[in-house]
Amino acid sequence: MISLLPVLWPELLLAITAGALFLLGISPQPAARRAAPVLAASALAVVFFGNAISAAAPLWDSVNGATSPTLYVFHFAVYIKMLAAGIGVLLVFLAWPSSEDGFGNAALEYGYDAGEFFGLILLSITGIFLVAGANDIILLFLGIELASLPTYIMVSISRPLPQAQEAGVKYFFLGAMSAAIMLFGFSYLYGSTGLTHLDAITALFHSEGIAGMTAWQLLAVVMVIAGVAFKLAAVPLHAYAGDVYQGAATPVTALLAFVPKTSGMVALIKILFAASGGTWAAPDVLMKLMWAMAVLTMSFGNVLALLQSNIKRVLAYSSVAHSGYMLVGITALLAARGHPDIQKAALAGVLFYLAAYGIMNIGPLGVLMLLPSRRSAHSRRPASEPPPPTAGSAETYDDIAGQGYAHIGLGLAMAVCCFSLTGIPITVGFLGKYFLVQPAWAIAHATSREWLSTRMGWLVVILMINAAVSAGYYLRIVAAMFLRPADPNAPSSSQPGLFSLPAAFAVALSVAGTLACGLYLPAANALSTRAQIATQIHDDTPPAIVVTQISEK
Amino acid sequence: MNNQWLVMLLAVPFIGCIVTMILPGHAARKWAFCVAVATFLVSVVLGFQLKHAIAAGQPGPNYLGGGIVGIGASIHLGVDTISMWLVFLTTFLTPLAIAASFTAITERQKEYYAWMLALLAIMLGVFVARDLLLFYVFFELTLVPMFFIIGIWGGPERRYAAGKFFLFTFAGGVFTLAATIYLGTRAGTFDLDTVVHVAQTQLTTTVRWWVVLGLLAGFAVKIPLFPVHTWLPLAHTEAPTAGSVILAGVLLKLGTYGLLRLALPIGLIGIDGSAVFPALIHFIGGLCVIGIVYGALVAWVQQDIKKLVAYSSVSHLGFCILGMVALNDIGMQGSFLYMINHGLSTGAMFLVIGMVYERYHTRDINQLSGLGRKMPIFAFFFVFFTLASIGLPGLNGFWSEFLTILGAFTSEHLGIGYGVLAALGVILGAVYMLHMAARVIFGPLKFPGSDDHAADHHASHSPLSVDLNPREIGILAPIALAVIVLGVYPNLIVGPIRGPLERIMNVHPEKSLGIAAAPTLRSHQEPL
Repeated sequence: MISLLPVLWPELLLAITAGALFLLGISPQPAARRAAPVLAASALAVVFFGNAISAAAPLWDSVNGATSPTLYVFHFAVYIKMLAAGIGVLLVFLAWPSSEDGFGNAALEYGYDAGEFFGLILLSITGIFLVAGANDIILLFLGIELASLPTYIMVSISRPLPQAQEAGVKYFFLGAMSAAIMLFGFSYLYGSTGLTHLDAITALFHSEGIAGMTAWQLLAVVMVIAGVAFKLAAVPLHAYAGDVYQGAATPVTALLAFVPKTSGMVALIKILFAASGGTWAAPDVLMKLMWAMAVLTMSFGNVLALLQSNIKRVLAYSSVAHSGYMLVGITALLAARGHPDIQKAALAGVLFYLAAYGIMNIGPLGVLMLLPSRRSAHSRRPASEPPPPTAGSAETYDDIAGQGYAHIGLGLAMAVCCFSLTGIPITVGFLGKYFLVQPAWAIAHATSREWLSTRMGWLVVILMINAAVSAGYYLRIVAAMFLRPADPNAPSSSQPGLFSLPAAFAVALSVAGTLACGLYLPAANALSTRAQIATQIHDDTPPAIVVTQISEK
Repeated sequence: MNNQWLVMLLAVPFIGCIVTMILPGHAARKWAFCVAVATFLVSVVLGFQLKHAIAAGQPGPNYLGGGIVGIGASIHLGVDTISMWLVFLTTFLTPLAIAASFTAITERQKEYYAWMLALLAIMLGVFVARDLLLFYVFFELTLVPMFFIIGIWGGPERRYAAGKFFLFTFAGGVFTLAATIYLGTRAGTFDLDTVVHVAQTQLTTTVRWWVVLGLLAGFAVKIPLFPVHTWLPLAHTEAPTAGSVILAGVLLKLGTYGLLRLALPIGLIGIDGSAVFPALIHFIGGLCVIGIVYGALVAWVQQDIKKLVAYSSVSHLGFCILGMVALNDIGMQGSFLYMINHGLSTGAMFLVIGMVYERYHTRDINQLSGLGRKMPIFAFFFVFFTLASIGLPGLNGFWSEFLTILGAFTSEHLGIGYGVLAALGVILGAVYMLHMAARVIFGPLKFPGSDDHAADHHASHSPLSVDLNPREIGILAPIALAVIVLGVYPNLIVGPIRGPLERIMNVHPEKSLGIAAAPTLRSHQEPL
């Protein structure tokens, strides 16, 4: 048990805090509801700084990592935990109750369920932690589901509207199906290898090499990828994104754009790591699958986003597109067989982009919830009053027209984040795109296989075309705020007393992070260095040794 | 080694921009003007340093700062004579453009001047960047201030114009980024000299073909070449006066500068100075000629004088690029001279048009006539800059037009047909410009409301005098002076840029690095 602590303390801390929050949720006192986010944010902050310390001076063995039968913590896991905890604090800020009775804020109304709501956020983030640290496919699956299940509930309880219920149900059923496919894949993986231990699976594939992967094993990996694709909202499993992101309250939308995507991406990396025997040398068919998925995801995401008029839907499909960009990095990772430095750069690119997207995507959604909304009729609700007040945020282009001048700070925040999401220089989004494109080019040059070179070249070109398409809708958001006159019918100002200072703080942090990591070289260097270190998923022990241990058993 | 003046060149307008945001609105414009003038002074200091360095046979001012982990890019700034003249053009036009906005911009002044100064810093950054990625960063960043300047302070169609400007240029620019990152990956660094060297010695022809297409995609939109020029008339027409001046005067030069500095040496010129893709040269030359004739014909039929000048830019930039792709001494010199001259004369045309618009709130060629009777000083400048634009001998436009066409004629890559068609464009240029000047300045006096008596009444109450006021004369006079100086002594520019141009063309591959190859100010071989 003691030996587990250095490995498991962040998960334990968050889970215990979540339990405490569920207990707290029983209390009908407003004070209890207001205490809930404080508790949640503190727990996440402790985890964040604890992991920061442990990254600098590891509590675990810095050479071999910290191991338990089912968990394994190394630089990769620490990076993901820091990222999830850091963004998690911002997500808690966005959901901070600002109404007098602690029922929610302008965009969100969980009523009496504040304790449960923040507890669920913590559980969801715990799920990411488990995915990052899992060393067993069963725990990996549990982690993915722990990250997802609370989000289904959060979507439904985030506001008392039929749309939110509908979104929650839709999300749940599709999510359950994808989980089933993934679990089916895991069962094949177990059936064809006889192993659940990720290290052992890695060692098995390492000793067999690329050619040794049987059709059943390949099918298993493809099914797991299909399940993960749903979490990433990758085409063809992207269809839910628009409705669910729109139906959920805006702070929950921000959570949906980050938590399932991160858990999915981390799971994908870990599965590919194991399936390639720890060398990223996977069969070409997997690389081709990733290539096709990346191209389709970017292109569909951006084109669909271009067609929307509701900004939450725009951001939903743009989040699909950003998954596609990250898949470009994954494709490069798999394509760079035999070039360890390019593999490292590609993985670092994906990890950097994961952080960059997490940072810059909080801003736009936070701005939407802080802007006056058409339906922000949030009020303290007497039990007798029949039509439930609806918590809403600015959603359409018309809602935000001309608001850049009335709310100059929010307007500038939106502009910075949108430019960053487009990939304009001096923002973190530009560096993110750089780190994704560079390895792809490096392979196009380094590989001796003609078709691969061509394919990677086209991948970059398609990514660039997509960046140009995405400029269309991001620019439209900025243009609506600054270049359009205010709609005379637009809501004039938000309800007094509902302005959420923590949410504004989260937006400010997001903007500061976006600019700092793109413009201030030391900050950019720090993030880039961390991403490079985090490419060490496993220590350098040759997996073959593990195999002998297992065969001895 | 590290030259702090280079950093100041960028820091002065940038800090000025930040200070502008905290100043009250009425103080902002004076402050912005002072900052722009201070930037000009810094550039003058740099110019003298460069002159001394060249005279002493040393490399020019240089600055090398930190980089980012995992990227071979660093903050590397430097100037040679090519950069220096474009820096001068920028720092010279911007204070004038700011001064021209004093009465034209009445809303959100603070933001406006802050954007102008930010734009100044970014444009200078493009010209002094000696690192490919840094170049791209500045190149792309120019979009953001210009987007807001057009979109907020522009004419009635400003939203559409700003969006089109941004999307066109960004869509081209992403391919430049792809090519940029590829080059950096191949070279292992983004240092310009190294990248060019690697491109010329290590890239296969196929790869160079794709790389140069990628670079061209961004630059061609920015220049703009014929089929992708459609954003330009709209953006120029809708932008506020100062925006048009900067757009035509400097922003278009970012494209030509990129072509000259990057696309030519990386993709079009071999290590021995030969053309790598003759077909591509013909293709670009063909687009230039189409642009020259098409732009001129379209300009001829415009009713809006600002749009007319905007289309004339399409035509003029065709000359500029035609001279460049001639890939000979004369053509390249003419092309570079064209960049400066177009910046001066077209910038000045937009300024005078802005002045007439401020008075009569129209730019319709049918509503303005005979203004020479009412505004003699205005008429002088209008006709003067028109003639400079046409290329009257003795004014600046003549030399650049002459040299580019001569370059096209004598080029071993382009045929004689290009020169003939370009010369046709000169005649058309005179036709549409004189057509406009004749309508606006001469003939019976006519301006909006001239038929009723209320007009004179209105004019007397207008804050602007009937003819140009001293501020406006003060804006136009320096440009007029520069036009004359470059008209009688083009060697001022052509002489010093000889060395860098020769390096770009690989005439003397043995001294291909550094600015040590001191260009002597030998007299220009004027073929007259």
